[in-house]
Amino acid sequence: MTTSSHNDICQLVRNPIDMPALIREVRAPEDGAIVTFDGFVRNQSHNRPTLYLDYEAYESMALAKMREITGQLHEKFAIHSVAIVHRLGRLEIGETSVFIAVSAPHRAAAFDACRFAIDTLKRTVPIWKKEYFEDGAVWADGELPPAPAATSRAKPAS
Amino acid sequence: MATVSQSTCLKVLFFGRLKDLIGRAEDSVNSADAATIEQLFALYAARNPELAKYRPSLVASRNQEFAAWDTPLHPGDEVAFLPPVSGG
Repeated sequence: MTTSSHNDICQLVRNPIDMPALIREVRAPEDGAIVTFDGFVRNQSHNRPTLYLDYEAYESMALAKMREITGQLHEKFAIHSVAIVHRLGRLEIGETSVFIAVSAPHRAAAFDACRFAIDTLKRTVPIWKKEYFEDGAVWADGELPPAPAATSRAKPAS
Repeated sequence: MATVSQSTCLKVLFFGRLKDLIGRAEDSVNSADAATIEQLFALYAARNPELAKYRPSLVASRNQEFAAWDTPLHPGDEVAFLPPVSGG
């Protein structure tokens, strides 16, 4: 388990995600709301029945990017604490692959922060899933993370 | 590629479909062979022509930060080539 300030939790796990335990971790007496996101394995992809998924990560960078997201949440939203957990390895239909819980004194910030967290995770955290079908397997289409186009020192002098 | 001593090497990581294409997840390259991320990629593209077609849909990282293709490399750097991410 990796813990940063505000009792935030960022984890990559290979076993089922214990959602109730994470909700308890982010819950505090000064809070009035917790918003959670439970992302789980769908039984089809583009109308092809899925057998299972296999997730892999660039683990050290993924954890660093997840911690960046929790930092951004505290900067942007009036929240208390955050848990972001992603599971790796083989996941069956219906199993939770990613779980996010955000606690806050008031619900609006918790909703907004939770949405920002999952949207940002899907764009910036280096995790990949391979989809297994009856007749083969493919790496899922993904999103290209925003990266610097060129280093500043390489820009032509004008 | 030949494994070189820790002090002069670049650690190179491949993920997702790139790992399948290259046939390995991790490699080591003499840092003298690639001054930038672009040059490092070119070493592999020369050996795996199919790799070149993935170039427009990849990002690179240096020491676990997204990095521009012209980023200079130094001995001990860890470079990864990352296909579009699909977590969640």
